[in-house]
Amino acid sequence: MRKKIGSALVVGAGISGIRSALDLAELGYQVKLIDRAPNLGGTLSQLDYQFPTDHCGMCKMLPLVERDSSSQYCLRKGLFHENIEIMLSTELVGMEGEPGKYQVTLRQNLSMVDPERCIGCGECSAVCPVEVPDEFNAGLSKRKAVYLPVPHNIPNHYVVDMEACTMCGECEKICPTGAIDFRWEARRQFRILVVDDELIVRDSLRDWLTEDGFAVDTAESGPDALEKMTKKAYHLMLLDIKMPEMDGVEVLKRSKELRPELPVVMMTAYATVETAVEAMKIGALEYLMKPFDPETLVPLVVKLYENLERADERELEVGAVILAAGFGSYDPAEGSNTYGYREYPNVVTSIEFERLISGTGPTDGKLLRPSDGKEIGKVAWLQCVGSRDIQADADYCSSICCMFSIKEALLAKERTDGQVDAAIYYMDMRTFGKNFQRYREKAEKEYNVRFQRSRVHSVEPEGANGNLRISYTDVDGTGREEIVDLVVLAAGQRPPTGSESLAEMTGVELNPWGFCQLQPFSLSLTEQEGVLASGSFSGLRDISESVIQASSASLRASSLIHAKGGGLAEAAEPQAVFRDVTRELPETMVALCSCGDNLTEAAKLEEVEEAVVDLDSVSQVQRIERICTQEGWDQLEEALRDSKANRLLIGACMPYVYARKLRELGKKIGLSSALMEVVDISTPALPGRNSNPEQVGRDVWAAVAMGVGKLKGMDPSNLPSTSVIQKALVVGGGIGGMSSALAIAEHGFEVFLVEKAEELGGNLRVLHRTLEGDSPQELLERTVARVEKHPNIQVYTKSQVLHSRGRVGRFRSTIEKEDGMGESLEHGVTVLATGGKEASTESYGYGQSEGIVTQHQLEEKLHSGAVNPGELGVVTMIQCVDSREEPRNYCSRVCCSSALKNGLYLKEQNPELDVYILYRDIMAYGFLETYYTKARQAGVIFIQYEVSDKPRVEVDNGRIAVGVTDPILGREVLIESDLLVLSTGIVPNNQEKIAGIFEVETDQDGFFQEAEYKWRPVDFMKEGIFTCGIAHSPRSVTETIAMSEAAAQRALRILNSERVMAGSTVAEVRHSLCSLCEKCIAACPYGARWRDEDEEKILVDELACQGCGSCAAVCPNSASVLRGYLDQQMFSVIDAALEEIF
Amino acid sequence: MSEENLTLAEVHEVADPMRVIQEKLRACMQCGTCTGSCANSFAMDYTPRQLWRMVQLGLTDELFNSKTFSLCSSCYYCTLRCPRGLPLTETIHALKQLAVAKGIAEKKGARFYQTFLDTVRRYGRVREMELMARYFMIMKSPMLPLSFTPLGMRLMIKGKVSPEMPKFFGPGKMDAIFRKVKELEASS
Repeated sequence: MRKKIGSALVVGAGISGIRSALDLAELGYQVKLIDRAPNLGGTLSQLDYQFPTDHCGMCKMLPLVERDSSSQYCLRKGLFHENIEIMLSTELVGMEGEPGKYQVTLRQNLSMVDPERCIGCGECSAVCPVEVPDEFNAGLSKRKAVYLPVPHNIPNHYVVDMEACTMCGECEKICPTGAIDFRWEARRQFRILVVDDELIVRDSLRDWLTEDGFAVDTAESGPDALEKMTKKAYHLMLLDIKMPEMDGVEVLKRSKELRPELPVVMMTAYATVETAVEAMKIGALEYLMKPFDPETLVPLVVKLYENLERADERELEVGAVILAAGFGSYDPAEGSNTYGYREYPNVVTSIEFERLISGTGPTDGKLLRPSDGKEIGKVAWLQCVGSRDIQADADYCSSICCMFSIKEALLAKERTDGQVDAAIYYMDMRTFGKNFQRYREKAEKEYNVRFQRSRVHSVEPEGANGNLRISYTDVDGTGREEIVDLVVLAAGQRPPTGSESLAEMTGVELNPWGFCQLQPFSLSLTEQEGVLASGSFSGLRDISESVIQASSASLRASSLIHAKGGGLAEAAEPQAVFRDVTRELPETMVALCSCGDNLTEAAKLEEVEEAVVDLDSVSQVQRIERICTQEGWDQLEEALRDSKANRLLIGACMPYVYARKLRELGKKIGLSSALMEVVDISTPALPGRNSNPEQVGRDVWAAVAMGVGKLKGMDPSNLPSTSVIQKALVVGGGIGGMSSALAIAEHGFEVFLVEKAEELGGNLRVLHRTLEGDSPQELLERTVARVEKHPNIQVYTKSQVLHSRGRVGRFRSTIEKEDGMGESLEHGVTVLATGGKEASTESYGYGQSEGIVTQHQLEEKLHSGAVNPGELGVVTMIQCVDSREEPRNYCSRVCCSSALKNGLYLKEQNPELDVYILYRDIMAYGFLETYYTKARQAGVIFIQYEVSDKPRVEVDNGRIAVGVTDPILGREVLIESDLLVLSTGIVPNNQEKIAGIFEVETDQDGFFQEAEYKWRPVDFMKEGIFTCGIAHSPRSVTETIAMSEAAAQRALRILNSERVMAGSTVAEVRHSLCSLCEKCIAACPYGARWRDEDEEKILVDELACQGCGSCAAVCPNSASVLRGYLDQQMFSVIDAALEEIF
Repeated sequence: MSEENLTLAEVHEVADPMRVIQEKLRACMQCGTCTGSCANSFAMDYTPRQLWRMVQLGLTDELFNSKTFSLCSSCYYCTLRCPRGLPLTETIHALKQLAVAKGIAEKKGARFYQTFLDTVRRYGRVREMELMARYFMIMKSPMLPLSFTPLGMRLMIKGKVSPEMPKFFGPGKMDAIFRKVKELEASS
């Protein structure tokens, strides 16, 4: 693949980190992706299902073009991309330098288990005597000290949890491949000097540490220690502070002169803690608190040892750093109201419930109570635990819990055939995203999930059988109680551990709650240039928004590297030239790994080899002792170079590991890696699986013969590539379109920006303030100026697209310009940012009085002075006008913020003014919650109404009377208002027309339909066309900008080079066999096929085709085929598999 | 709409001390945790949440006619659990004071408090027998003492209370302190 000058570091390998890393890798940058956990995937590795599909779908993030450069299997199981180096158990420990040129220091904790050798057999875990709570199951089950971090990784290596490990050495003895190495020898050579004036301390420390394998000397005083230090080299000194003659601090000072490199750890009693802290300032590494006990002290010393000796520190230079550090979780047990968490086993958090219902969880996915394994009949979800709670220092909303809980309730219902009783106790049900409201109604109406508006105040045990009693107050004030089997606490989000030191190191700022502070109007720019935030580190978002934000971050990183001179200029790497083998007969070299002596002992390998040589396309068989080692690999390379073979089949363990290695090998010797395969021959020979050598031999032979059969029929011709017109068309000149255009233009590509209005700006023109207090007009001015000045952007105002044809990489669109003339534009990608508008309404007396206005109109009137807050007495606002009920059954997301913004402004201008906001659920998600608090504090009065009992408006002689039922007091209140403001929400511009022109879909509300809500939020199903902003769904200015950057990012991945390759597995049509029945067109889920009327042919768009094979399956004539999976290949594979039987 | 409907603009005109209480309660979002936590809410005519709502909406007269705040036992559970961190128990105290100052408290709900404080003023502590006797007299309900008789008998048998004649007149031991408090309240 293309290599670009420039590299980036992504900290955190959760969803956002993976998305950012893949984005940059797809653009050709070299990416380091690190995570401190021993596994990829972050929180998502624990979650099996995501709404609205209630499936996973993570794999949809994998590259869609140039697919061969990355893994193409389940992303939860693992990832590789040739431009990404993944470093797990790794932390960022230092960062220096300047934007575009940062020196970062990474520290990787080396595992005791060699991942190259571990085959995941689990023998080690079986003998390990230590049991600790399993993080993967959120502590609901136990694991050993040597364990698999997640059960689903491929390949899956064991790791040793050094904090829990007792170093008993049992696993080391039993490991069949010698992968575990405690390196006792290294430990014995690690000399520790213990300095203390008390004999008992010296002796016990020496005994404990010697027992754990260290070499220990003791010194009874400062001078004694200094003398010993001159005679022998030590690796660590444990130094007491309070000693007669010479105190510890003095010894430390002198030792720093004598042996500056010697790490010193102070030992202190409570009284001298301050001295110890002082000592750290003059060079002590750490301090340990007395009194000691071996249980805690020894692991601490071991940890120090690990950090000093075993950790691998690496320094490297990167252009930009993306922080995708994720989030932590609130611990309900630490709150002022614990809801019985940790006290009663049947009180769990959302993540624990997620594990309870997971097939890989502690109960194998059966809904059983943790306390006694009884089937669960009734579950209560309690919202806002540790969120929206000032007493828990959380004046913010965690944004995701409402949907999270609805999803869990639905899963519980589905799992039990609707038998379980599920109730959600909430204050505001925040269904602010696309399709969230309908999802909630589905839960409520179709699945009978109960939604109870109330905050539960206590959870208490009901009897001794594990049942729980929850008590709450109904809206009307009636106290109620319910007995449930399980209580699920929607525990709120917290900043990730270590966020403070990360912020200090990288220079980013944190907000009052410890999340990363972003710049105004951006979801990725931090205070530090070149350091970007991605995902929940800057606060609380769901997958879809994390993915958008991650792409925004990678776009910004790429822009920066580009601006600093790295850029997209391709590095001079010679394009690998592959030998043309199309005219050669298939000749396969088979290399079998004997895995030391394991395979030769388990099977008669000679016999297998003889049988393999007899296969007609096999030219030679090579046995290699350990192909996983460098020596083994060199041996293979040499053998292949010397042979004339044009196919390579490797028999070894863990075929997935070899994808990257094969590509490198292919480049070196000039043979396409599409002609190489790896088959698993080690599983049949696993210890304890089969003791009959003949059967093992037969199994190995079958695996090899199947591989040979597949390779034999492999089409050796070159893979198709597609030429790309490196220009973009952006439709819509609002803030979304302009941001997208700028982002693409900044990377050096030409952009056509088409806007139907007279000037650029769209809806931004009517916004004068944001809730956060930033100025949209400044943003508008700045952006328009940049767009108009940019040499790569050609702006067409008062113009519209009439027609568009073509496919990804090669579009031709016709626009009608201001003067009525047409112009034809050629472009490789399209961004549709056609925006939306404030809905008009006929409800609540709109139009009957000048005093009834919409939120936009109010903002405009306040700005122009037509409305003077000083002259008003009472202003009433009604939320959700015509929204969140059919036919417009969605939340417009911005209206609550608008109401809060205008309400606060009115109160600020005239504190005597009464403001009433009549709402259904206040959608103050994320940090907007604090403005909700502020609005209440400013005296705005909020009255909740139900959709079945809407406010009533009467207009009489210009006087506006609003009647509404106050649910708390249960009575009607009448508000005589000077001004009634209606929050009518957002509707799309007439998008059906534009969707028709570009052959993309719209959803039932008329917004653009994305390819996949969560994982591909800015893509259309039709490759090469992207969407952003409120044309997709209602969102704020900042969110629109982030989304337009994400769209630009997705576009750049195609514009990036002149020719783009698909993958090696693509569909083809044999036109001579094709009867033009078009079944394949209907079957293709990617819209990659069409019928060319001129040529009377079915054509395939190689870039859009993802090689799923649906077309090949439906084709009645075998005219549609899949490269790499031709019929004759599959038949020979089946023959080989069945040959033993016949 | 019936005549009971309230025109909020009219009732929003409130006296200053009320304004202070209102400001304290503004951030309340009517989640109802206070009501759920309140041990006495079952006996109240308005639950605590309703009370805060009435304060927010300025329904003063109705508010002081309720017996809710006289039923508060100052357990501070609501304050502990309020997610907005509002000083709810203190607000109840402030409302009680306001009720006394406004003279609204001459109603039955407040009589126990008055009697209680009066015995404190006299003796510097509570004399149970005297407190009860005076309370029964003030309440002017002949059935009330009878309903307490069984409890009283049991307490007397256990020696928890002893019969004593109440003193209705004469100076109290804490007069000076009470006078000072009254002065302070008047000047503030």
